[in-house]
Amino acid sequence: MLRNRRIWLALSLLVVILLLAACGGAQVEKVGEPTQAPTEAPTKAPEPTKAPAATEAPAEDQGPAKAPSGEPVKIGAVMPLSAPGSVTGGKAMQAAFEIAAEEINAAGGILGRPLELIMEDTEGLPERGAAVMEKLISQDQVVAVVGEYHSSVGLAEMEVAHDNHIPIVFAETWNDKITASRYPEVFRVAPLSSEVAQLDTDFIASLGVKKVVIMTENTDYGIPAAEKTTEKLKDRGIEAVTFSADPGTQDFSSIIERIKGESPELILVLLTGETSFNFEQQAAEAGIGPQDVAMICNQVAADSESFWKNVPDGNFCFYRQVGLPPVLWTDKTKAFAEKYTAKTGEATPPSYAMEAYDSLWVMVTAINNAGSTDPDAIIEALENISYEGALGTITFPVNSKNPPEKAGKEDKWWHQFPDFAAVFIQYQQKGQMSSDAPVVFPDKFKTADPILP
Amino acid sequence: MRKNIRTLKLLTWILGTGFLILLPFLIPTRMHVAVIALYYAILASSWALLAGYGGQFSFAHMAFAGIGAYTAGLIGKFIRITSAPTGACTEFSLGNWWLVIQDTASPTCLESAKATMPLGTLIIKLPPWLDITMGILVGGLFGLLIGALVLRLRRTYLALFTIAFAEILRTVINAERDVTGGPGGLKVAPLFPNGASIGNHTFSPADKLPSYFVMLALFLLVMALMYWLAGSRFGLFIRSIREDEEAAASLGVDVVRYKILLFTVTAMIAAAAGGVYAHFVRVIAPNMMVIKEMSIVIAMAVIGGMESLLGAAIGAILIEFALEQLRSNITVGPFTLNMADWRLVVFGGLLMLTLRFWGNGLIYPIIQRITRGGVGEETVAKRLQQPAANDSSSLPDAEGPESVP
Amino acid sequence: MTHPSIFWYTLLWLILWGAIGALITPRVYARKDKFTHQTALLGSFIGAALGPIGLILLWIFTPQLTAKWLLGSGLIALFWLALAFAKAAPENLCVTSGSFVATQIANGLVIGSIYGLMALGLTLIFSILGIVSFAHGEFYMLGGMVTYYFTQVWFPDLSPLLGVAAAALFTFLLGALFELLFLRPMITGQIERPGEYAILVTFGLAFFLQYTTLSLVGASPKKVPRFFDYPKITVPSGTGEIIKITPGNLTFFDTISISSPRFTALIIALILLFALLYFLYKTWTGKALRAVSQDRQAAAVTGINPKRMNTLAFALGGMLAGISGASLVQVFSWVPWVGIPASSRSFVIIVLGGMGSLPGAFIGGLILGVVEALGAGCVPDPHRAAAYLPAYGMIILVLVLLLKPTGLFGREL
Repeated sequence: MLRNRRIWLALSLLVVILLLAACGGAQVEKVGEPTQAPTEAPTKAPEPTKAPAATEAPAEDQGPAKAPSGEPVKIGAVMPLSAPGSVTGGKAMQAAFEIAAEEINAAGGILGRPLELIMEDTEGLPERGAAVMEKLISQDQVVAVVGEYHSSVGLAEMEVAHDNHIPIVFAETWNDKITASRYPEVFRVAPLSSEVAQLDTDFIASLGVKKVVIMTENTDYGIPAAEKTTEKLKDRGIEAVTFSADPGTQDFSSIIERIKGESPELILVLLTGETSFNFEQQAAEAGIGPQDVAMICNQVAADSESFWKNVPDGNFCFYRQVGLPPVLWTDKTKAFAEKYTAKTGEATPPSYAMEAYDSLWVMVTAINNAGSTDPDAIIEALENISYEGALGTITFPVNSKNPPEKAGKEDKWWHQFPDFAAVFIQYQQKGQMSSDAPVVFPDKFKTADPILP
Repeated sequence: MRKNIRTLKLLTWILGTGFLILLPFLIPTRMHVAVIALYYAILASSWALLAGYGGQFSFAHMAFAGIGAYTAGLIGKFIRITSAPTGACTEFSLGNWWLVIQDTASPTCLESAKATMPLGTLIIKLPPWLDITMGILVGGLFGLLIGALVLRLRRTYLALFTIAFAEILRTVINAERDVTGGPGGLKVAPLFPNGASIGNHTFSPADKLPSYFVMLALFLLVMALMYWLAGSRFGLFIRSIREDEEAAASLGVDVVRYKILLFTVTAMIAAAAGGVYAHFVRVIAPNMMVIKEMSIVIAMAVIGGMESLLGAAIGAILIEFALEQLRSNITVGPFTLNMADWRLVVFGGLLMLTLRFWGNGLIYPIIQRITRGGVGEETVAKRLQQPAANDSSSLPDAEGPESVP
Repeated sequence: MTHPSIFWYTLLWLILWGAIGALITPRVYARKDKFTHQTALLGSFIGAALGPIGLILLWIFTPQLTAKWLLGSGLIALFWLALAFAKAAPENLCVTSGSFVATQIANGLVIGSIYGLMALGLTLIFSILGIVSFAHGEFYMLGGMVTYYFTQVWFPDLSPLLGVAAAALFTFLLGALFELLFLRPMITGQIERPGEYAILVTFGLAFFLQYTTLSLVGASPKKVPRFFDYPKITVPSGTGEIIKITPGNLTFFDTISISSPRFTALIIALILLFALLYFLYKTWTGKALRAVSQDRQAAAVTGINPKRMNTLAFALGGMLAGISGASLVQVFSWVPWVGIPASSRSFVIIVLGGMGSLPGAFIGGLILGVVEALGAGCVPDPHRAAAYLPAYGMIILVLVLLLKPTGLFGREL
């Protein structure tokens, strides 16, 4: 018996070695030859990404308001719905997607057919995001994908979308690398991280401070943002020191004492979720809170109910609101905000909910404009789109007809929605709702002067 | 008689293997889940060998998979072989070739060296099988160190230490983002960087089928290896250690040595699975080592049957498919159950109930019934039938078939 | 660090001679036919503290080992390390500012006392049932959650102390229920391998509780406002104040600053510690518990029902974790996964203090609190200081397992 086992063992070992050796060829690059991307060449997935024949013939005879009928058109939506992802963000996006999907189906669906939105949880894990994308594309046969909250997950998803040639509109992934990839399939309605850093810098400079401490999250969102902001602040002659912590850190007392030692004039918080609340409240208790030192709390502070519960001493916090300030809301924004409040009970929709809502609408509008679910047609329609949404008029002006070189812009502007609005708001009264808090920057939207401690 | 049992067992194995080989043709759209299921099957059954056979409770199994994955990924990121010296990076001469390390101090050294290197210089990325092998070795090394440090002590220390080790490893990978990419993850080359071709059909690097067969081959190899181990003297020793350490020691079993050996071997198996997994998913993040993942592997092994390697593996495959299937929300009247969370609640509850009421797991008893139950009855019946017969073959039968389930 | 090499070479030197001492000393003692117990530990400490000279002297004289030797040499080794750090990083706040270090240590002691309280529960369970509960962190999480729901959602005007009491009751009952349903079969012989079963079933409980909570309450962070708003007091007023109290903060001697919710938590922890000591040493049930922990059979002979003591111990242990959580929910924002780092911490503490030792758990908690605070406070690179928080405890764990697996006050294994 034992000998028998050995034979089996040897045999299977042989099989494995053969298999591995057969497969695992090394990647060889030759200096002097143009960097080939041969590995990517035969990548186009063999399976059709579009639904069967019916797709090609758009049901043009049906009026847009008619109830959609026929085979549904499938679109995938990705967002984090369980830890370690940001569940708060994911749930808000989910609600927004549901609202948009209802509206779309009420307005006649896609190409006269109903929209079937398949929502998937990416858990905030890059590998999970890749797996979910594969599932959506190969199993559910979606024609396009929208959504995502975490940049790190988005970077992984983007590769799958590119490999399978499926258009994707990202909703809340800020990392510059995503659009800088210049993949034809990748579009984004969220702001660029570097542009947000620019806005932060402008605001900080306008306050006239000279020394800043940045408390950042040790992630793909936090570290690049901190680095860019530091760089830009330095150009303005403002000194910045960065401290970082893992998401999920509870006890900040040691770090706060160190920050005190730096005696900053302003603290920029780039933490997210409960971690940012932990830091802000503990800083307030230690005497360097927003009432003692100017503090830019992160945009999670826009969720005023949660903010005041977790940071009761957070009065005079500044926060950045991405998306239109309430004074500039379009009719579409107002309508969406109303539905969002009815659905979730939250007073105002956060920016990522608006982005999620718009990302789905943009995609559906593009498919309707293209008249087909062919990926190339959708991409072309997206490049030409001009859609009135909750975020304003969405366009992607830097595209294959107007590439970055020609437009004189950096690669990061590729397929990027350029006109996102972002403003700074300050809680000037304890317990204030974010919709009532005044805008303090930039000057053209200003409704009150910033109050500095 | 004996032949019958063997034929039956062999038949089950052939059928099972055949089923796994044909699986891609049955569910062509679910290949991703199938590969992940095999990955979990390797982890769960090797954990069953460690904990179910050897009685050593390690919570660092995912951490070893992570070590395998990150070793493979980091080699792919930092190490190249060139046919000419770069003069810029850290490099070692290997005869006509140079081993180049693009360390974090000079991450772009190779790019800049390309200008100065002679035309036609080859820059080679190590093939996946080599970096997976390195991952296995590094995993084994860590297993050896931890084993040597903790396995002399009482069992509980291993559990406590490994849980802390897993957390620290994750923390380090998170924090050292210059090297590992931090929480954003590390990109890894696909398993078949140049695609694969079988006959006339060419698979692209993104195709799942070749990866499935690699993972399947690894799975079969690992199962064969573990069954061989479990059936050998080594298996006997580790079982005796589990039953009674003092007694085993008094009979001359070098307890600590065998425990360390077992720990190292299972760590290497986990690292191998991690390495293949890394090349398959192509982006790995420290979150692959969170406690939740470890809980899932343990629950798979327990529900499948901790004392059966096959039971644990089947448990893992079934549970992975079930968990994927249960993702969509369930709406009952006005209530919507968010299954993304609730499925794990059900899973945790099932784990506790299995432990409490079905110590052998849910799947192992079924396997036993299929492969052995009938035989046992038959033997008894036969013996009753011919009580006087001094047929020598009935003696070994009475001992039952292989001691290994 | 301006001169990192000074620090790293010193560290290398300490480790080198520590290792040499640990390896050779037991052999020297054995050769001289002396008691070798714990001589490896002594050798490593002396080696690290005094280098080759100390070791040679040790090997010549081979003194009888006492706690004084260990403590003395350990402190000297620490002193060298601190000195090297001061020389390597002269601009570091930990070197230049005494009040900074004092505040860090004070904060470490405060948070450490709560870690200690939690670990006390774990060690209590271990000393009676002989198992480590891997669900300890989840009891901690539930304590905070129950307090939040009682004082903020269901009964908004409830006194926070009643919220803490509710959390205590809830976690006590949950612990008792779990013990009765899942751990009781271990001693009645229904489970084949109780040791292994205990590890797995408590691990399963942790998973189950965490995801049940997540499914029920969601992931949005929760927090209870400060239990007590201290009045603004300055004693004595004017300069050179001894205590200065603001609603959020307490400052002692103008140097040490502790946030007030933490101070409240500390008071709760101390009151509980004394209540627990009173219970264990003055009441019949408490004495019975200790009796069972020392000798099950003998205790049973005197009429104590060990089964009931098991239930009580597990419930009490869970309750201590629950109260730690309840007292910290006013300090930290609470999410369903806060228990994971907390339980890792408890494991480090009970190994450090010695498994099953009650004073060990509390002192271990204080030590871990201080080490974490100083680690996050002094590590020069601001990117890594906080990111490595869980690692500081781990270093302690490895050191303890290498040098003295029984911990500070552990019974011999």
